[in-house]
Amino acid sequence: MNWDEAAIQRWLEPLAGRGGEIAEVFGETLTELVLEWRDGSLREARVRREEGTSARRRAGGAEQFVFVTGTGDAAVREAVRALRAESSSEPLPIRAPRPAEPSDIDAFPDAERWSRRLPAILSRHAPRHAFTFRLRETERRVVADGRRASACVRRLVSLEGRFTAASRAGDEERPFAFHAPASEGVADELKTLLAAAASPRDRAVPAPAGQTDVILAGGCAAVFFHEVLGHPLEADAEASPLRGLPDARVAVSDLDVSDDARRLDLFGGYESDDEGTSPRAVRLVASGLLGSRLTDRGHAAAPGSTGHGRRAGASDPPLPRGSNVVVAPGSADPDEMLRRLGNGLWIEEFDGGSVEIASGSFRLRFPRARRVRRGRLSDELSGGVLAGELLSALGAIEPVLGREVRACRSFGWCARAGQVVPVGGAAPEVLLRRLVVRPAP
Amino acid sequence: MTAEDLARELGRRAPGQWELYRKTAESRETESSRGLQRAAWRREEGWAARWWEAGAPRFAAASSPEALALALDPAGRLPVLQAPAPDWPSRTAPGPAEAAVAPPPDVFADLARAVAAASRGEAILGGLSLRSGRAEERIVNAAGLDVAQEHRALDGVALCVGRRGSRAREVRLPFRWDGVPDLDPFARRLADAATLPLSDRPAPFSSGQWLLDPAVGAALLTAIAPLFLADRPPRWVLRGQAASRLVSIVDDASRDASFDGEGVPTRRTLLVDEGQLVGRLYDLDAAKRAGAPPNGHGVRPSFRVPPRSGPRRLFFETSSPSAPAALLSSVTKGLFASALTAPVRVDLAADRYEIEFTGVSVVAGRAGGPVAGARSTGRLSELLRRIASVSTDTQFFPSPYPAGSPTLLVERASFE
Repeated sequence: MNWDEAAIQRWLEPLAGRGGEIAEVFGETLTELVLEWRDGSLREARVRREEGTSARRRAGGAEQFVFVTGTGDAAVREAVRALRAESSSEPLPIRAPRPAEPSDIDAFPDAERWSRRLPAILSRHAPRHAFTFRLRETERRVVADGRRASACVRRLVSLEGRFTAASRAGDEERPFAFHAPASEGVADELKTLLAAAASPRDRAVPAPAGQTDVILAGGCAAVFFHEVLGHPLEADAEASPLRGLPDARVAVSDLDVSDDARRLDLFGGYESDDEGTSPRAVRLVASGLLGSRLTDRGHAAAPGSTGHGRRAGASDPPLPRGSNVVVAPGSADPDEMLRRLGNGLWIEEFDGGSVEIASGSFRLRFPRARRVRRGRLSDELSGGVLAGELLSALGAIEPVLGREVRACRSFGWCARAGQVVPVGGAAPEVLLRRLVVRPAP
Repeated sequence: MTAEDLARELGRRAPGQWELYRKTAESRETESSRGLQRAAWRREEGWAARWWEAGAPRFAAASSPEALALALDPAGRLPVLQAPAPDWPSRTAPGPAEAAVAPPPDVFADLARAVAAASRGEAILGGLSLRSGRAEERIVNAAGLDVAQEHRALDGVALCVGRRGSRAREVRLPFRWDGVPDLDPFARRLADAATLPLSDRPAPFSSGQWLLDPAVGAALLTAIAPLFLADRPPRWVLRGQAASRLVSIVDDASRDASFDGEGVPTRRTLLVDEGQLVGRLYDLDAAKRAGAPPNGHGVRPSFRVPPRSGPRRLFFETSSPSAPAALLSSVTKGLFASALTAPVRVDLAADRYEIEFTGVSVVAGRAGGPVAGARSTGRLSELLRRIASVSTDTQFFPSPYPAGSPTLLVERASFE
C-alpha cells in the first residue's frame, strides 16, 4: 500500500472537526495460502489475494461507513468521496488517480518449505488425516484525522482437522487444531503438539453428568477467561453483568488476568489495532478485583482507547474485541494441583465456547478429558460441555494456580457479530469447583 | 487486465479445463441500537479461477483481475495430487441490467413496539442490523459456458434482551425477508426466545409428544443436511426408513437463481421421498466421482472458496399435511419447542442428537405454562421416524441457505 498519507489526512480533516469525532481510512492487503492434506497427499491448493479500503466517520451516536475493493489511489479516493457524500459534507475534488500497480505475489516464500516439511511431520505422527493448513499474511494501514498513520503486518499459521490415532482399544479419530504466529520455531512446536495429541490412550468412557470440580490445564484456561471476562468486558457489552461492578472482588486475590495484544508470540497479537492505536495490556482481573474494559476509539473514556478496536477485514467496522488472554502463574506444580482437586476432571483442550452476555451463562465444549480420582489421573473421558454462570464460576476459582504458563495453541479464532478475528491466550493450570458437566450426545 | 485476458491465460495453462468466476456486489446496511446509528455502503468485487494444471486441481481468488493473474503462478507451482477434471457445463445466458440498491426500510421503531407488545414489556429490541443488497455473478468456462445472474436480498440480525427481575436473556436471530417485512411474527419469535427462558421452570414431563416450531424444525433439517452430501451415508440411513413416511425432503432453489455456482441449471431435487433416502446433492466434482449427472448444487458461499456440493433451498414436504391448530389439539401431553437455546448437535455417524430448547408445555391440546429450558437427546433415526404429523405452515430461515420447515409433531420424545 503506497498511500499519500498527508493527502488522505487533508481529505479527512473536514469530517472530524470537533473533539470526539473520528474520521479514518483503513486499508488491508491479505494473502492466504490454503493446503488441503489427506493421508499424506496434497489434494488441493488455494491462493487468495484481497485488497480493500474502508472509510469511516463517527460523530456522536452516528457512524457512516464505506467499503470498496482495492487499496490503490482510486480506491482510497472512492471511499473518501463516498464517505463525504454519506456525511453530507463537501465532495472530494475529482482528479485522475495514480494508476494502481499490484505488487507481485511472493507472500509465500515459505510455501514450498511447508509443502515439503508438513508431509514429513504428518506421516510420522498422524499418517491418516484430513487437515487444512493455512498461511495468512495481512498488512493493515490506518490513516486517521490528526493522528500518526500506522501500519501492521501479521503472518499466521494454522493447521486444523482430524486424524486417526492409535488407542489401546484400536484406532480412533481425534480432532487437532494449532494456531500460531509464523516464526522460526513454529514447525517444531507443531511437531511436538501433534506428537502429544497422537500418543496412545485408553478407550474413552462417557464424561459424567452433573456438578464436578475441574482443572483447566494445557493453557486452556485462557479460553475460559476469554469467555467469562473478555467478552463481558468488551466496551460495547451493554447488558454485561460485569458492567456495574468496577473494582468489585470477583475472584480469589491470587488471580491476575490481562488481555495483552502486545504478546506477538500469541495468535491474537498485533503492534497496532485496526484504528491505529498502539495496544496496552488491560487488567481484566487484578488480585481478584474486576479490572478495566477493552475499548476502541468509539467507546473510550478519559484515558483513550486501550487499542482493542478490531475488524475481521476492511469491509467491517471496528468493534472493541479481546486479543490474547494471559493469566499470571501461581506456584503449584501439576501434582499439587491434582492433590488439591481430589476427584474431578482434568481438561486440556476446548474446541468451542460461547457466552450469553445478558444472563452471564457460558458453555465450553471439550473434545476429551481425564477423570481424576484421589488426586491421580485415571480414565480417559470422551467429550462434553462445561457450563455455568460467569460470576459464580469466577467465585469458584480456588486460590491455587499452576506455576507454568502455557500458550493455548488450539485457541485461534473468535466470532462475534459476524466478525471473526484471531485470538490467543496463555495460562497456567486453574482449579474450579462445582461446574456443570454434560457429556456429548 | 480483463476477463478475456484471464480466460486466455487459463486456457494456456489448462487447455479445456478451466473456469472463471466473477462476483460484484453492492449493499446498503443500517444498524440501529440504543447507542449508535450506523449507515454502511459497500461495493465489493471478487474473482476466482479454477483449473486443472498438470492434471491437478488449482484454485485462486482475488479482489481484482490483476491480483488474480498474479495468484495463478503460486497456486500452479504446488505439488497437488492429480485428480480427474469435471465435465464442464456449456450454455449461455445474458446478464441482468445494473440497478441501484435502495437503502433498507427503517423498521427499528415498529419492530421495537411489536417486540414490547408481544412480550408484554418484558423484552426490548436491543439492536437491528438490516442489509439490502444486490450481487451479480458471471461464470465462464473452457466448454463455452457464459452465464450471468443477479441476486437481491433483504436480510439482517436482530438482538433482543428479555428481563424479569434479576434474570436476563439475550438472543440474536438472523432473518431474511423475501418481500415486504412481516414484523409481527418475527417480533413474536424474538419475544418468545428472549422471555420464555426467564420462567425458570423446567420441563414438567420426562416424555411425551413434541411439537417443533418451524424455526426449530429448520435448524434440525440444517443439522442433518450433510446426509445428502455423503458418498456413503451412515448405516442407519441405508437400512430402510430414514424418516417417517409422512416426511419428504426437497432442495429446490428455482425461485432464487436459475443456475448454481458452477453454471448448472437449478432444479428440484427430491432427497427423501416418504421417508426413504432417494437423492443426493451433486456439484460437478461429486457428480463425476459418483458417475451421476450434476443436479445444480455446486454452492459458492463466497468467491474466496471453490464451489462445493451443498443445499441451496432445503425444506420438508409432505403429501398429507395437517393444519397447525390440528397438530396442537392432537397433543395430549407434551412440549412445544418454540426456540433453541443452543445449536442443534447431531452425530450422524453415531445416530445421536441433542436439542436444547425453550417453549411451553401442552396438555390436552392447550398451551400450559412456559418451559425455561429442556433438552431432548437420543437416536436421530428414532426422532425422524417418530414424526407423526407435518403442518402446512412452512417458513424459511437463513442457515445461511434458506432452510424451510413447517410445525412438526414428534411422538414419544424424551425430555430432561
